[in-house]
Amino acid sequence: MGLPLFDAHNDPGPSFFHFAEATGITTPTMAGTAESPHATTVIAVRFNAGVVMVGDRQATGHYIASRDVRKIEPADRFTAIAISGTAARGIEFVKMAQLSFEHYEKMTDSALSLEGKANYLSPIIQRNNLSSPLIVMPLLAGWDSSHLVGRIFEYDGAGGCYERFDFATIGSGSPFAESALRLGFRTDLDREAALELGALALYEAGDNDPSTGGPDFVRNLFPMMVTITDEGFQELSTDEVGARFRAINDRRTQSGGVAGGTLR
Amino acid sequence: MSNYFYVAPEQLIRDRAEFAQKGIARGRSLVGAIYDTGVLLVAENPSASLNKISEVYDRIAFAGVGKYNEFDRLREAGIRWADGTGFTYSREDVDARALANYYAQHLGDMFTEGQKPLEVEILVAQLGGKIRPTKLYRIAYEGTITDETRYAVLGGDAETIKGRFATSEEQIHPLGQTLKNAVEALAGPDRKIDVTDLEVGILEDRGNRRTFVRLTDAEVSELLS
Repeated sequence: MGLPLFDAHNDPGPSFFHFAEATGITTPTMAGTAESPHATTVIAVRFNAGVVMVGDRQATGHYIASRDVRKIEPADRFTAIAISGTAARGIEFVKMAQLSFEHYEKMTDSALSLEGKANYLSPIIQRNNLSSPLIVMPLLAGWDSSHLVGRIFEYDGAGGCYERFDFATIGSGSPFAESALRLGFRTDLDREAALELGALALYEAGDNDPSTGGPDFVRNLFPMMVTITDEGFQELSTDEVGARFRAINDRRTQSGGVAGGTLR
Repeated sequence: MSNYFYVAPEQLIRDRAEFAQKGIARGRSLVGAIYDTGVLLVAENPSASLNKISEVYDRIAFAGVGKYNEFDRLREAGIRWADGTGFTYSREDVDARALANYYAQHLGDMFTEGQKPLEVEILVAQLGGKIRPTKLYRIAYEGTITDETRYAVLGGDAETIKGRFATSEEQIHPLGQTLKNAVEALAGPDRKIDVTDLEVGILEDRGNRRTFVRLTDAEVSELLS
């Protein structure tokens, strides 16, 4: 690629996505029926000082393609993006989002607002999903530094962006996770309670949805758990997550495989 | 049919060079210098928002003097080139030398073929790491590219400022000393530049992927005291 110079009226501005399309860096989406790994459960729960996100690690095709996929990634210091749907498209989408936010910051010397980031992704999702069966469904959560609050944005298949004030889920395990979240969510959750609720919801999804990987004690692989607060994106250690899921597992064992009358 | 008067190529080049130099001399100057743990870029710039110094990539920064709209367009092109290259290949494949060459080609083309030469001088700085060395590439209005060993001065009064800076920078210093030397060289013997009229950016390893940091007025004051 040579030096990308544009006339003032053709200039793509600070948007990397539009620049990439104008110069052919990204290939246009085409219809196809390729089989590719997909399915997921990722959960975002809002609490009094930010957002907790929990995501499973399994990539599923006709068989388990991978057990240690990272479906939640930091888009920048205060924003996380989770993906479900086609893995290939999802990974490209995360890369595009990460780069776009940074690109905007470098071009304009100011960072995008969290809402700006959420809206920016809409047409990218729309363009992918309406022209290809290789659907990607993301979830955006972050710490809003100008309003000092954690915020969650979910999308529909056509790219519609909706803010959620309680919790959001994506992926095939959503119905099961959502049921647990609806029973356990309170508006005054603190970090610890939100982590516990998120872990329980993911445990439910992993227990019921064949395409969602629950805790894997044999391989010591556990769902990803992250918090996004005024301290930024922080990922919990494997030990910490492992202990949390082991505790849930032990309780379920004691009560014969079910929660046993209370959400625990 | 219109008539063209014959102009000798020597004359044409001289006229164009003079035109570009005049334009560049109208603006304030800029110093880029390697210090013990990084690269310093310091410009005299009364505007707090129209920047002369900018981040380009993880370990690359840009600085320009002359006509703002012209070097800012080059700055944007550099960021686009770097992000596009990193997206297509890998982040570690983004090299300042390649970018400096593209700038040099473009400035050279504009000088000989453009309606008018660009009235800018630019600096591409790269912080060294595991795979690349620390570099300062200075690109002049007509496309001449210079690989500066320790420091570079851009702008109208470059030679005088460079002379002053050279006497105080006989060896590589820490950031504070280098900044002091650079500001004194920019100001000259009988002038003092206010901190608010300075724009300072550094490339330094601080444990993050991105190494460019813009220094605030307070940070600059503290380093200069």
